[in-house]
Amino acid sequence: MWVILIVVAVLALFYIIVYNGLVEKKNQVENAFASIDTMLKKRYDLIPNLVATVKQYASHEKETLTEITELRAKAMSGGLSSDEQVQVDNQISKAMGGIMVAVESYPELKANENFIQLQRTLNETEEQISAARRAFNATVTDFNNAIEMFPSSIVAGMMHYTRRQLFEIPKTERENVDVGKLFDS
Amino acid sequence: MSDTTDETLSFEQKITPILEKFEVQRKQCIKKWTISMFVIGGLCAVGCLFISQSSAQGFQPFLIAIVVSGLLGAGSFYLITRSYKKGFKDEVVTAVVRAYQADFEYHPRSYVSKSKFRESKLFLKGIDRYKGEDHISGTCGKTDFEFSELHAEYKTTTSNGKGRTSTQWHTIFKGIFFIADFHKDFRTHTVVLPDTAEKLFGFLGKKLQEMNFTRGELIKLEDPEFEREFCVYGDDQIEARYILSPGLMRRILSYRSKFGAKMYLAFLHSKVYIALGTDKNHFEPKVFKPANDLSQVQEFRNDLDMIIDIIEDLNLNARLWSKE
Repeated sequence: MWVILIVVAVLALFYIIVYNGLVEKKNQVENAFASIDTMLKKRYDLIPNLVATVKQYASHEKETLTEITELRAKAMSGGLSSDEQVQVDNQISKAMGGIMVAVESYPELKANENFIQLQRTLNETEEQISAARRAFNATVTDFNNAIEMFPSSIVAGMMHYTRRQLFEIPKTERENVDVGKLFDS
Repeated sequence: MSDTTDETLSFEQKITPILEKFEVQRKQCIKKWTISMFVIGGLCAVGCLFISQSSAQGFQPFLIAIVVSGLLGAGSFYLITRSYKKGFKDEVVTAVVRAYQADFEYHPRSYVSKSKFRESKLFLKGIDRYKGEDHISGTCGKTDFEFSELHAEYKTTTSNGKGRTSTQWHTIFKGIFFIADFHKDFRTHTVVLPDTAEKLFGFLGKKLQEMNFTRGELIKLEDPEFEREFCVYGDDQIEARYILSPGLMRRILSYRSKFGAKMYLAFLHSKVYIALGTDKNHFEPKVFKPANDLSQVQEFRNDLDMIIDIIEDLNLNARLWSKE
C-alpha cells in the first residue's frame, strides 16, 4: 500500500515539475517574440526621420521613400497576422538596405551630420533586432528540445505542445553578395 | 600598430646608450651578489664547523647551513638587484611604451584598482591579498584603455590541533587585466567565462551551468565553437546577444587562440573588462641576461603589441553605432 502511495506521489511530483518547466519555456518563447516587436517599433520610429533627411538631398529616390513610408504605415496599423508582420518587416529591411546603397551616389547626404547620426542609430537598431531574433531562436530551441526529449516529451504530449518554428533569416539577407554577378549586368 | 623600419632604427639608436648604462649597473650587481654569496657561504661553513665540533649530530648542521645560505642568498639577490630593476623599468620600459605611442602612460608600481577588478564580477571569490604592477593606460584610436598585471589571492588557515596554525595562499587570478571602452552602449552586466563544465560533462554540464545561482541567466549562443570554449551569463538575454554579435564571438575566439591562455570577459558600463590568465611576469628585466641585448626590449614590445592588439582584434575602434 505504502509503496503504491510513494510511487504515485513521486510520479505526481515529477509531472508537476515537468509541467511547470514546460509552461515556463512556452512563456519565454512568447516573451522573446514580444521583445522582437519592441525592437522593431524602435525602427519604425526612426523611419520618418530617415525619409525626411534623405528627401532633402536625394530627389531620385522618391519611389523607395514612398514605399518605406507605406510599409511602415502597414506594419504599424496592427491587425496583421504574425506571418504577415514578418513579411512586412522583411520588406522594410530590404527597402532600407536599398536606400543605404543608393545613398552612395549622394556625397552631400553622406556627409550630412544628421544623416550620419541616423545611420548609426539605424545600425544599432538593426543589431538589436538581430539580437532579439537570436534570443527568440534560443528560447525556441530550448522549448523544442524540452518537448522532444524524453521524459518531458510525454508530458508535452499530454499538454498538446508542438514544435515551434525558428525565426528564419530571410533568404535575400542570408545570401552573400556575388561580386561576379554585379559585373555581369 | 607596427612601426616602420626607420622608426625602429631610431628607437634602437635612442635606447642603446641607456641600455649600455644599465649593462654596467647589471654587471656591478652580479659582482656584488657573487661576493655576498662567498661571504654568506663562508660564514655558514664556519658556523657549521663550529656547531658540528661542539655537538656531533651527523649531517643535520650541513643541511641547515645549506638552507640558511640559500635563504640569505635569495634575500641578498633581491636587495642588490632591486634598484637595478626599478631603474630599468623606470627608464627602459617607459621608453618602450612611449616609443609605441607617445601619449601612453606607464607606471611600473601602479595597477588596476581593486574596485574595478571586483565590479567586473569575473571572480566572485573574496580577495585577501591583491597585488599588481606595470600599469599602462592611454587612448588607442578612439578607445580608452588601461591594463596592468594583477595577482589576487585568498587565504585558508589550517590548524594542526596543537594550536599552531598555518596559512596557505591560493590564486584567484594571476595575469593581465585589461579594461577598454566598448563600441556599443549597454546597461546590463554580461560575463564570458572559460567553459569547464560543458567540456567535461557535455549535456549534463550545460544543465549544471543553468543551475548556477551565483551568476545571472545562462545565455546560450548559437556559435558551437564559442559555446564549447566559453560559458556566458548575463542579466539580459537580448542585450547579451547585442553585445556578443556573431562577429565578436569569432573575434574573441581567434584572439584567445592567439594569446593561448584562459580568457575571461565582462561587459559592464559600456566597457569591456578582459582578464588574461598567465604566469609570465611581463615587462620585467632579467638580471642574468645582458641589459644591452635588444631581444629583451623586443620582447617587451611584443608583449605590449599582443595586449594592445585586443583593441584592433575585437574591433573596438569601430564606430558604426550611436556611441561616439
